[in-house]
Amino acid sequence: MRELYTSELEELEALLRDEGKLVDRAIRGALNVLERDDLELADELIAFDDEIDSRYLAIEQRIPSLLARQTPVAGELRLVLAILYINLHLERIADYCVTVAKLAKLAHGLPRDRAVLEALEEMGERCREMLGTGLEYFYARDFTDSQALIEMDRPIDRANRKLIDRLIALGPDESQREWAMRMMLASRCLERIGDHAVDIGEQAAYLVRGRFEEFTDASHKPPRATT
Amino acid sequence: MSEPAFTLKATGRLRRRQLVNQGMGALAAGAALLAVSVLAIVVISVGSRGAGSLNLAFFTQNQAQGFNPKGGGVLFAIVGSLVLVGIATLIALPLGVLVAIYVSELAPSRLARIARMALDITNGIPTIVIGIFVFTILVAAHGQSALAGSIALAIIMLPLIARATEEVLLLVPSSQREASLALGVSRWRTTVQVVVPSALGGILTGTTLAIARVAGETAPLLFLTYLGTSSTADANPLHPLQSLTLVIFSYSDQADPAYQSKAWAAAFVLMCFVLFTSLAAKLALARYRKKLGG
Amino acid sequence: MEAIKTKIEVTEKERLPVVSEREAVFEARDLAVYYGDQRAIDGVNLDIYQRLITAIIGPSGCGKSTFLRTLNRMNDLVPTASLTGQLRYRGIDLYGPGVDAVEVRRRVGMVFQKPNPFHSSIYDNVAYGLRILGMKRDLGERVEKALRAAALWDEVKDRLKDSALGLSGGQQQRLCIARAIAVEPEVVLFDEPASALDPISTSAIEDLMHELKRDYTLVIVTHNMQQAARVADMTAFFGLDVSPDGNRQGVLVEYDETEKIFTNPSDKRTEGYVTGRFG
Repeated sequence: MRELYTSELEELEALLRDEGKLVDRAIRGALNVLERDDLELADELIAFDDEIDSRYLAIEQRIPSLLARQTPVAGELRLVLAILYINLHLERIADYCVTVAKLAKLAHGLPRDRAVLEALEEMGERCREMLGTGLEYFYARDFTDSQALIEMDRPIDRANRKLIDRLIALGPDESQREWAMRMMLASRCLERIGDHAVDIGEQAAYLVRGRFEEFTDASHKPPRATT
Repeated sequence: MSEPAFTLKATGRLRRRQLVNQGMGALAAGAALLAVSVLAIVVISVGSRGAGSLNLAFFTQNQAQGFNPKGGGVLFAIVGSLVLVGIATLIALPLGVLVAIYVSELAPSRLARIARMALDITNGIPTIVIGIFVFTILVAAHGQSALAGSIALAIIMLPLIARATEEVLLLVPSSQREASLALGVSRWRTTVQVVVPSALGGILTGTTLAIARVAGETAPLLFLTYLGTSSTADANPLHPLQSLTLVIFSYSDQADPAYQSKAWAAAFVLMCFVLFTSLAAKLALARYRKKLGG
Repeated sequence: MEAIKTKIEVTEKERLPVVSEREAVFEARDLAVYYGDQRAIDGVNLDIYQRLITAIIGPSGCGKSTFLRTLNRMNDLVPTASLTGQLRYRGIDLYGPGVDAVEVRRRVGMVFQKPNPFHSSIYDNVAYGLRILGMKRDLGERVEKALRAAALWDEVKDRLKDSALGLSGGQQQRLCIARAIAVEPEVVLFDEPASALDPISTSAIEDLMHELKRDYTLVIVTHNMQQAARVADMTAFFGLDVSPDGNRQGVLVEYDETEKIFTNPSDKRTEGYVTGRFG
């Protein structure tokens, strides 16, 4: 029944999955740029954002059309709305990755601090973990453990605090201070990326736990046990 | 629990209304009973007077002759009636259906109205007048014949069949016609292949009722085939043939009680034929309807 | 860093019908239909494109069915109906001299609101048109092909001789579709095809239309605009115009891709109708 509609929903989710993978690579790419201080890599990353943008726009364009033409209700409506919001969060994450790359470019050639870089790497990797987990919950329609996601935020906070202390402790050298400012902003970006990753997890929870417990779209697995 | 402030029992005007209802109901039942009784009385009185004279000879012999005959039967009267009605049906049925098709499907409304009026008027013409008409046209020049009788009977049957057919054709829902036309089938073929088959049951009933009606016609046949009544042993439609109705007429005119009892017997046979035909028509219609899954 | 190309990009192009490149099967120019002196619809200018589903929506009395019936000359059956303007079918003036309405209906089939199978067997229903129109070769195969295309074959293949009236409403409607496509028309018109059916049967018919679109051009009239939204590629909205002398007539207000009509219509009246405000 409603085969066209079903395949449209599947397409939307496939686009989102795509975008998710790309965004994950973008985060890793931004961390690499910081690690290696590579200008070429930074430019590649900035250009890569176009790939993500095209997925973002594709989803943005399809959703109003789908809502108008197929009038989804119940679980399918929550699905479409969840996709809408997750799409937005992914795009913001990607934008922050670009910002990090731009900051790295501006900080190129300045004296660097190992500990700060390690902290940034730690934050970034935790973000990737959170993003992956949130998206997994969404794809599997399974939200057994919301605590786990919030727990993941803790290491990021710790790394952030460590980083700030370290930056404050850096020497009186002007170029050192400049580098510190840039890295401060970069850390802010990573923190925001983490927030968006949590939001994505929240969307998955809404989708699964929404007022109507069952959703009957034939293209997806039935929901497993939810709390 | 206290008494309710009102009561639902019948009082005053309500009571009078109930009495009127019951009275009218009884009256209607009585009328129905009367109608059924009339049929019962006719069947019983004809049956009781006629059935006694029925024997094998009655059905296998030609008319008796002479005074106080022992045997004699209505074989050729039955044959003659069958020929008369048969040919009349052969003429009236296709014509009647075609007229009905024209009037209900093909004609512009003004012409259709004129045709319908003509049919109604024909229906009302006294059958004896129809007999005279056919006499003038056919018999005066060529002599009496069963064929002339059939033509007269056909004229009587035509409006009956046409009107019954028209009613049934109109009952066929226009959605059926539209379905056929939308496929690119012409109007005429739509009528023949979709509309008429749907209406077949009704056409059949109308025809059977028309047959039952003319089987008992006597007056027109007086002019057209009466000569055959005197014991012609024939089935050729171009000759005047016997007819059951005319035999009843002529026998009952005689003083001899032997002939009179034969008249009753013939009347009984005729009546049975009409009853049987009507019942058969109704049964056939019911079975036809069921077949269509109607 | 290489980009991930997905199959999504390919289907993006397939999704939207490239309307401007398609052939127009029907072209209406200043078409107006009258019943006697009353004008029922006015000033209709639109093209119906090949192998697309075109929906006609609008409030009651706006002339949707009237317009639909001009496409296969079924309006000829109404004695007082007449029309002005032009309606071309593949370049031929449909109402020109020498055009046989019966021939037109062979190429432009119709499915009606209430299923109207003939009172005969399932097989005979589908074979009816084939027999009369002289397409008797391989009759059995043609009947099977039509029933398969109407998604009915599996349900009736073991009881082809049974009466058509024994089928459910949804099945009867699919039988009527099979009957219509058996004679291989180019266009199939649907006059509110699912309004007499339950939601599940309606869904089945809608899925069927998506399938039929591959081979036929479909035009559907529906008072259920959600159905038009789900099913149609192009949508025409007929509004109701009340002239000063009280004469009510239908006018074509907007005709565009369905997506546009339901997400961003150009005309305020269209917006008012699809949002259920008025009309």
